[in-house]
Amino acid sequence: MIRNTLENIYSVSKITKYIKNIFNSDEILQDVWILGEISNFKKHSSGHLYFVLKDENSQIRCVMFRGNSLYLKFNPRDGMKVKIRGSINVYEKRGEYQLYAKEILEAGKGELYLAFEKLKNSLKDEGLFLEDYKKTIPFNKKKFAVITSPTGAAVRDIISISTRRFPNIQIIVVPALVQGINAAEDIAGKIDFLNTNFHDEIDFIIIGRGGGSIEELWAFNEEIVARSIFKSKIPVVSAVGHETDFTISDFTADLRSPTPSAAAEMNVPDKEQMSDSIQVLRDKLKFAIVRNYEKKMERLKYFKKNLVYLNPENKINQYYQYIDEFIYKASNILNNLIKINEEKIKKDLQRLDSLNPWAVIKRGYSICRKIPGYQIISKLKDIETNDHFEVIISDGKLIAKVDKKEEKKT
Amino acid sequence: MKKTKIDEKITFEEQLVKLENIVKNLEEGELSLDESVKLYQEGMNISKMCLEKLDNTKKKIEELVIKEDGKFSLKSFTLNEKEN
Repeated sequence: MIRNTLENIYSVSKITKYIKNIFNSDEILQDVWILGEISNFKKHSSGHLYFVLKDENSQIRCVMFRGNSLYLKFNPRDGMKVKIRGSINVYEKRGEYQLYAKEILEAGKGELYLAFEKLKNSLKDEGLFLEDYKKTIPFNKKKFAVITSPTGAAVRDIISISTRRFPNIQIIVVPALVQGINAAEDIAGKIDFLNTNFHDEIDFIIIGRGGGSIEELWAFNEEIVARSIFKSKIPVVSAVGHETDFTISDFTADLRSPTPSAAAEMNVPDKEQMSDSIQVLRDKLKFAIVRNYEKKMERLKYFKKNLVYLNPENKINQYYQYIDEFIYKASNILNNLIKINEEKIKKDLQRLDSLNPWAVIKRGYSICRKIPGYQIISKLKDIETNDHFEVIISDGKLIAKVDKKEEKKT
Repeated sequence: MKKTKIDEKITFEEQLVKLENIVKNLEEGELSLDESVKLYQEGMNISKMCLEKLDNTKKKIEELVIKEDGKFSLKSFTLNEKEN
């Protein structure tokens, strides 16, 4: 019995490797088809799929790597009955064997899945999911109730996120069973109870729980819960499991939140942000009223300016100016006329001067005028012999008598 | 309970929408001075009420306890995760 001595002791790694080799050398385990129902399905962001394949008695962990999952012709979901081809190997790190799936085919749907589909379709036909019935989620009383396990992560997340977002919020925790045979009835009863006793006190109800298998979430797929949600006068937010989980209560509720945390994020407003946005609106109001006033003043100024422009006084002044200009022009013309005439008169005066008899007299000519009568004598017939006459000369006059008239000889 | 001036039937969101509309109306500037002053005052009132409303509650986390006879009471809620 050499093999069974302490000298031959195996390390964990070594024995695991040994087991792994047994799996590897087995022909059946290396390429096998397995029939079962999917549960605990998770799609990792890397694209790998992790789930459990099970039947009534047993289960086996499965993984399908991205390289294979890319070729799937459908989206595997919890409750689906599938045929999987793959190899079974040991995952050394955890010392667990698991099915490495290469191919998945739908093999009729799982029982739970079928029940889910049946109820979903009949409630849908009845109109329980219609958008028309969905109430908006108010936040008026700043108080809501949450129906969930009082010890789960869901209630903790909801309280911490809600109080972070709205520090003076009020929450009523309504403890309820969220899985197991009595859960559905309990949840439905609590919804009814809140409607009876807290209708005027709370804004909305969150029902939900953290993630789990399809069996663990099943209460939220029961008709009795759907009926209570639909009947509820208080808006109901359904927040069940992870964002990939869809339940009947999600479809019936006034709002579906992908997770309990999201239910708080979506329905409890951020107080600071809210008061900031109100403050912004107040500032806008102040700015707008001032702007409005300024705009009006601008218009007033504009009208005032226009009024000045249209003032009759302005027109009269214009006429005044026109008249002034006219007078200026007219006087210019007149002055010109006067100037021209002045010259003419000067010339005329000069000419006149040259015709002045006195000038002639000064040069030695004289004028004779008959006495009496003083008519100028220019011809012989103007005077008779012995008539008296005066002779005007430059410095006086002579009185004389005609002795004889003698005609000019030609 | 403290009485507030706010019409409880109008939700916070509706008040905000109303306030936003008032601001929009004022910003368009087509109103008479009288109307705009009236709107301004209304807007300031609503926003003040909204701000007051944000503060008119005190934080309270309670647990509903329902007795077998259907009577209920509220007690202060403390998170106990150990049972989980």
